[in-house]
Amino acid sequence: MSETQSDEEVPLRDRIAANPRPALQWLAGALVLLAVEFGAFIGVIIQLALTAVRLLPSNPGAAALASAGEAAESIPTLLTRGLIPNQGYQTASGEWMGTFLGLEPAYAWLLRVVLIYAYAFVWLGWFWVGYRWFRKHYRYADWTPRDDVVDRLRSHRWGQFGFVLVLAFFVLALFAPALGPTTVDANIQSPYTHYTKYYDDEIESVSNVTVGTANLGSTSQGAGGENVGPWSYDDYGRFHPFGTLTDGKDLFTFMAAGARISLMIGLVSLLIAGFIATALAMLTAYYKGLADLAAVITSDSIQSLPVLLVLILASAVFGNTWIANLYNGAVLLIAIFSVTYWPFFWRALRGPALQISEQEWIDAAKSFGQKPRTIMQKHMFPYVVGYLLIYASLTLGGIIIAVAGLSYLGLGITPPTPEWGRAISAGQPYVATASWHISLIPGIMITLIVVGFNALGDGIRDALDPQSEGGEDTGGEAAVAGGGGA
Amino acid sequence: MSRWSYFLRRLVLSIPVILFGTTIVFMLVRLGPIDPAAAIVGMGNPQGIERIREQLGLTQPLWQQYIDFMINMFTLDLGQSWVIQPGRDAYSLVASYAPRTIWLGFWSVVIALFIGIPLGFYAGLNPNTGGDYFASFGGIVWRAMPNFWLAILLVSVLVQSQDLLFGFNWSNWLVTTDILSPPNLRFLSTPLEAITNPIDWWVSTGANGSFLAALKQIAPAAIVLGSASMGNEMRIGRTAILETINSDYVETARAKGVSGRSLIWKHVFRNALIPLVPIITGEAFLLVGGSVLVETVFAINGIGYLFYQAALNADLPLLGALMFIFILITVFTNILQDLLYTLIDPRVGYESE
Repeated sequence: MSETQSDEEVPLRDRIAANPRPALQWLAGALVLLAVEFGAFIGVIIQLALTAVRLLPSNPGAAALASAGEAAESIPTLLTRGLIPNQGYQTASGEWMGTFLGLEPAYAWLLRVVLIYAYAFVWLGWFWVGYRWFRKHYRYADWTPRDDVVDRLRSHRWGQFGFVLVLAFFVLALFAPALGPTTVDANIQSPYTHYTKYYDDEIESVSNVTVGTANLGSTSQGAGGENVGPWSYDDYGRFHPFGTLTDGKDLFTFMAAGARISLMIGLVSLLIAGFIATALAMLTAYYKGLADLAAVITSDSIQSLPVLLVLILASAVFGNTWIANLYNGAVLLIAIFSVTYWPFFWRALRGPALQISEQEWIDAAKSFGQKPRTIMQKHMFPYVVGYLLIYASLTLGGIIIAVAGLSYLGLGITPPTPEWGRAISAGQPYVATASWHISLIPGIMITLIVVGFNALGDGIRDALDPQSEGGEDTGGEAAVAGGGGA
Repeated sequence: MSRWSYFLRRLVLSIPVILFGTTIVFMLVRLGPIDPAAAIVGMGNPQGIERIREQLGLTQPLWQQYIDFMINMFTLDLGQSWVIQPGRDAYSLVASYAPRTIWLGFWSVVIALFIGIPLGFYAGLNPNTGGDYFASFGGIVWRAMPNFWLAILLVSVLVQSQDLLFGFNWSNWLVTTDILSPPNLRFLSTPLEAITNPIDWWVSTGANGSFLAALKQIAPAAIVLGSASMGNEMRIGRTAILETINSDYVETARAKGVSGRSLIWKHVFRNALIPLVPIITGEAFLLVGGSVLVETVFAINGIGYLFYQAALNADLPLLGALMFIFILITVFTNILQDLLYTLIDPRVGYESE
């Protein structure tokens, strides 16, 4: 952060070169961790690139990327459904065929889930080890203010609780294809071009049936036999950890894919809104006066428009146009969230940025003849960025709620792309019946995740700024955290 | 800067805010891809579309349309609905839909206040006890639940209350009411009967409805709509109490021998209310947005429902008018908040800027 001792300081690269052992050890560990999941890692990157490319007008290189994605799928990967399959059929003697080690599908699936989460936590631990080694071997200072922040976070149980919830959600979104008991493509998007095997008691042999037909036989519609609840098998021997939707599709696969799109919308719009807000906060704090006034008026005007209503309005106005179909409607949502949320961030950053701009070192830098751009980047930005984290954590929960609320109304993300709000809406008539899971599980998950993000935000705030405890701007914070009332 | 000139400055600043907000609405409504003429007469009728365009003034240059739109809005000429109820004034539509939303909003604020603040103060006065943890954690979870989901749950439980709540029947409790129907507010038009004909006005279930029936019908929706604010009020109330109770002047008062009750009510309670002001006024913002979803779930035909219908049917002028009203509500609540602050807290204006 500080570069005060620049004449004696050796760049980090040289310090590592002088003592390469810990760095190499850490890198080797990271490479091993990466190698076992390399296929999935490349898969995610290609998926991201493909999504980005499809947004461009002429799809340059989309075909090449798609074939690269197929190639990536054939790279051996440790935690995949291919290696630990949970889909199989049960013969008359009660044996399971086609599942991992002949385990019951539920346990095969559970094993995969546990391994994936364990893998994620091993990564987390490895990063922690890396940080400790960096502190021990490469950092000059015995102590920096950041250490205190980390220490405070380490003793903040509530924040850690939030962190674990948030991490569980991130892993769910990131490993969605491997976590689901089946795939989105086979089970949700095109069920009639995929087949599933099951043991037919009547003809006493294994039969093939399209997933679509199987889905029709495993619907959850409340009454009598028409229900496949959580942690149960349907008539075709398929396992459903969260039960099925009203049309027989697997709820867990739906939720995992929905987590991916919710998180994507949230993260990208936060990045854009955060970037606008930070840049503006630097500019207004540095130049003050008219620039500040203009930003106040603009942000007040945007804040005077209720977010959810703008979302509904824009979904209606831009419905059925090309922009509403980009990435299943997510691009439009990202655009609206970015435009409507930056004022909240800017409001949060404005105070701290103004305070920093009054400091002596800014004066010193000015009289020293540094360019405004350098001053903002080097001497103001590092002090403000922490506040951004607090609000980012609080806002992500709000965005997830708002997206769910919108798709509950039938707007936003276009079907059949999974979105949590649509599951809640589909299950609405069955809440008090045997098929309660369709509405309740997504709702409980949203609640848990929002609690997690709020707790993490509290933790970060207390760690960065132990004196604040609530702060004055809680009105805006509350509005953000509540998703603008969804 | 004195606090009143600070307040005046905020007042003056609100004018460009309204102007700019309305401009955004104009851009969304008129520059979007929807052709309002086609929305009215349908695509297969080119002459009809041309004629409607002429009538609506859509053939004029854009700046002319913009100026007309702004002038109309600021002279409070909100125009007419084109699609939902063609030719009907936006005013009369709003007037017929608004009372239910106001009734809903009013009770959601009141219920949230009367549950959230006492709970928060209780938690703050008994910090780190079982009751505090229970209330605080409950408040956090309560706040995190999506409104529309909470509404769905509540509706299902109430509809089946006979089976789920050990024979307690919600719709027959006190007065017989339907669960999924808008409250009947006709009794409000005859306020004098509250005194002259009290039983009918307060309790009965006649054609005009009654206070109790309308309150009972709106209560579940109001609780849901106020849930986020309730959680916030609790949380802020708790920290406010904790902060005040540890402050020097409370210490001094205690040392001086002020009795416990007077200490709590006079010194702690009043000061702890200050940070709650922006939470309460900020609710207006949450209520306006949240009313769409809650009214949809509870089948209350209020403003939020009207807005949703207008959006689905691409009734652009009505959408514009409604958005303009929402902007006014938000801006004036903000001004009200500043006014309250100025009255309550003498420090305002000195510390900011």
